[in-house]
Amino acid sequence: MDAKPSMFSWKVHLFVLVLVCVTELIGVHELGLGIGTITLFPMLYALIIGSIMSIPKLKILKKKEMQISANILGISFMLFIAKLGTMMGPQLMELFKSGIPLLLQEAGHILGTIILGLPIALLIGMKREAIGATFSIDREPNLAIISEKYSSDSAEGRGALGVYVCGTLFGALYLSLLTSIIAKLDIFHPLSLAMGAGVGSGSMMAAVTGTLVTIYPDQADTIAVFSGGANLITTLLGTYICVFISLPLTEFLYNKLNPILGRKHKNEIKNIKT
Amino acid sequence: MENNLKMKDMILTYIIIGIIALLGNWAGYHVSPIKALPGMLIIVLITIVGWGIKKILPINLPAVIYISLIALLITTKIFPGSEWIIKETGNVNFLALATPILAYAGLSFGKDLHEFKKLGWRIVVISFVVYTGTFVISTIMAELSFRFTGKF
Repeated sequence: MDAKPSMFSWKVHLFVLVLVCVTELIGVHELGLGIGTITLFPMLYALIIGSIMSIPKLKILKKKEMQISANILGISFMLFIAKLGTMMGPQLMELFKSGIPLLLQEAGHILGTIILGLPIALLIGMKREAIGATFSIDREPNLAIISEKYSSDSAEGRGALGVYVCGTLFGALYLSLLTSIIAKLDIFHPLSLAMGAGVGSGSMMAAVTGTLVTIYPDQADTIAVFSGGANLITTLLGTYICVFISLPLTEFLYNKLNPILGRKHKNEIKNIKT
Repeated sequence: MENNLKMKDMILTYIIIGIIALLGNWAGYHVSPIKALPGMLIIVLITIVGWGIKKILPINLPAVIYISLIALLITTKIFPGSEWIIKETGNVNFLALATPILAYAGLSFGKDLHEFKKLGWRIVVISFVVYTGTFVISTIMAELSFRFTGKF
């Protein structure tokens, strides 16, 4: 890129300021739905109202301003990470004591996308897109890995990019709602859910952690420490594991599972008949 | 994108977000901006120093790692003045920092909407399955290992 990405627009900052103040004043509310109760809280309103404001048809924001907003988002979550870090220092021994759970939850983060995603992708008829779509949560570093190995125009590259786009648009909102519903089932300890929050994406992790803290306010600090810890490990190991383990493993499993679960092409079906 | 950013722009942006978060901290968590100012300055400073280290060191690690580690290090007991740092940063509620982030995320929504409309239904379904998988399976792993190690 020649030009430095712009991060400045008074309009964007002003909108955020108003969104923050208004949504913080609205506070926490519970919404009962058929499938369970959903916890609504300031950052969720900010996300939803902001999204509506940026719908192109409404012409409130220009495309350039949306881009600036995305650029700011890319660095803003680091303040949140810094704050979580300052909460982790005093609890460092507590984190070390939970070394085994921390390592195993990490395995869950890495393998979770593949274990659940790949079989379902094949069952609904995806081909090699499934590899790119399910080998990781497809954030920026993962996209770089895929395009390096297969090129971004490949089927694998399209799969990864699709999940990236959906995640950017709906990841935080979806995970927040999912967290509400799962937490209310009362089968998991808040700390386990906190570790699950460390998915390796700033905004998604903030949304899940925020939901948990709103549901379990008396355990706010421990939840922040454990989701911060899990997220740090995911970020630290993520890229390397992705290159050396996740991607080769997904490719291997694809080759094994595709003949069993994958839908056959029309030609192949004809061949079988004749 | 990380390597293309100008330090001056970033510092300005962090200061603006810091001010917004201070006001959110006031509106939502009733801590006056004056009381929370030192804590917010520390948080902004940690972030900027983390970026500085990333720019200086030849290793290509994400800035998030340096920022986490600095924040963690200066709040451990052995670090001189850690108690003061913990006390001051404690005045900034971490949710007050998360709300502006998700507001920026919201305002950038329209940017990718066009790309989204081009996607097929399969990839949309799988996206949600992938995010469910990473969250739920790591939660299950954490729960099981906590139970086996006797934490609860």
